[in-house]
Amino acid sequence: MAATRRSRRMAADILTYFVLVSMSLFCIGPIVWMFLTSLKLEADIVTQTMQYIPNRITFQNYVAIWTQSSFPVLIGNSFIVTLITVVVCLATGTLAAYAFSRYTFRGRNTLMLGYLVVRMFPAVMMIIPLYVVLRSVGLIDSRIGLALAYTSFLLPLFVWMLKGFFDAAPKELESAARIDGSTRFGAMLWIVIPLARNGLVASSVFIAIAAWNEFLFALMLTTGQGSRTWPVGLQLMVGEFQLPWGVLAAGGILSILPVMLMFALVQRVMVQGLTAGAIKG
Amino acid sequence: MDTGSHLPKTGMIGELSETRYWIYLLLLPSLVIILLVIAYPTIYGMAISFREMRLTRPGLTGWVGFKHYLVMIDDPVFWVALKNTVLWVTFAVVLELGLGFIAATALNRNVPGTGIFAVLILVPYFLPNVVAGHMWALLLDPRLGVINDILVRVGVLGSYKAWFADPNTALAATIFVEAWHGFPFFALLLLAGLKGIPHDLYKAAAVDGAGPIAQFRLITVPMLKSVIAAAVILRVISLVNSPDLLLILTGGGPGDATQVLSLYAFQTAYKDFNFGYASALSVVMFVILMVFAYAYIRLSKIGQE
Repeated sequence: MAATRRSRRMAADILTYFVLVSMSLFCIGPIVWMFLTSLKLEADIVTQTMQYIPNRITFQNYVAIWTQSSFPVLIGNSFIVTLITVVVCLATGTLAAYAFSRYTFRGRNTLMLGYLVVRMFPAVMMIIPLYVVLRSVGLIDSRIGLALAYTSFLLPLFVWMLKGFFDAAPKELESAARIDGSTRFGAMLWIVIPLARNGLVASSVFIAIAAWNEFLFALMLTTGQGSRTWPVGLQLMVGEFQLPWGVLAAGGILSILPVMLMFALVQRVMVQGLTAGAIKG
Repeated sequence: MDTGSHLPKTGMIGELSETRYWIYLLLLPSLVIILLVIAYPTIYGMAISFREMRLTRPGLTGWVGFKHYLVMIDDPVFWVALKNTVLWVTFAVVLELGLGFIAATALNRNVPGTGIFAVLILVPYFLPNVVAGHMWALLLDPRLGVINDILVRVGVLGSYKAWFADPNTALAATIFVEAWHGFPFFALLLLAGLKGIPHDLYKAAAVDGAGPIAQFRLITVPMLKSVIAAAVILRVISLVNSPDLLLILTGGGPGDATQVLSLYAFQTAYKDFNFGYASALSVVMFVILMVFAYAYIRLSKIGQE
């Protein structure tokens, strides 16, 4: 009896590893292939017989995308747009998340539901009026205008995520500080926010990745070099210059580096935060 | 007044926070932004759907009532896009839910190394659409696609196939790419759900003689119901609303084989600059989504919990 149970357990473990390994390969394999492609000479990509391991390794694709296109400018624009988006969300969203987490007031649930419902609006439905509005105030094709457009769908997300982290921060220390004579603002600034700093970082990174990756709004709301972000630039390069596969792959790898870096940095906290928010929501 | 607090002084804002206006001060900044960048544009967008607005023909303007909606009824592309939207979203969600469930179940067994596997499985979800799209275009390329090569070597395919150019396989191929991109989202949420099920339930069921299948049917599925419902509805919303991947992979082609509503609306706005009709299309999309969400929440009864 004990033997069959142990062997059954062993079989389940083997099956688990089989599933985990094949799923990981499924997820990572394509990215590894893109990386290998970025290291190949174009002649080795367009061949009769497929080269699985590159015969010759070259970095000329990376040099090409960085020096012979506007890629550095695009990356710089993306960086600034992402930064503005995060700063605006941090400055305004943190306060709202704190209010939702700590206070009960009339209309609280309605307002929180409202924050969720706005995420249901189709992107296109937002893009057209945003285009008209931004154009009339002179913010079309500007990095601030694009960042403001991003807050339309990222600020509600930020508030919901951060509220989960605030909920998880113990209330006792805050009460102690209040008894100690601290103001509400003081307790929030010096007690609660430091307690929830992991959550602040994770929520910020999550919206930073979303802003960095965003494509549709950027395609519609930017027209020139001044504010165009890298997803739009890369897509247009493919269309206009018949971008060689190796160069495109190099551009892809370069542009996901920051995402992977940020993800690696905070994946543990972020996974907790995502799941906590989702369960409560 | 010396409050005696050991924390640094907070000045005027600190004093303000003791008044009853504090809560409104906290909410005001984000509310102003939301009203400015969401509420106003939304109402404006709905208004545009009843107007003529083409950037290419500035003279053509004014209210047209339900004209765009009537045109839509006779627009064959609209109906094709509607059908494709339903197919695309349904198959993608079913596939992602299935893959996500398998991944979550495997991760939940907590075998050594689970942490690394969890990170690897999550990665596709954070990959930008632009990169994911072109990467899969390369993998499935009719001349140099490695997947074609593997399938030919294994003997599944006779020769390389142009997955995205063949109207019979284009939609299926894009669904496959979307499933790759989106299933980690389900894996993440379902894993959280699985972790929330108390272990005692399974022990008690095992004592009562319930096998793994009965345990799955009688404990896992009912306990996960609300998580599944929430995950499905969030995913449906984002799938219906975002045409990014299709825009990059096929642009709706070949013909209208992969044309969906969100993409059609976007192209109407971006290529033709026909803002009035594009707005009407997105309003219809929004109404369909709302009706779906309402019916779905009612049917799955997640609202009661």
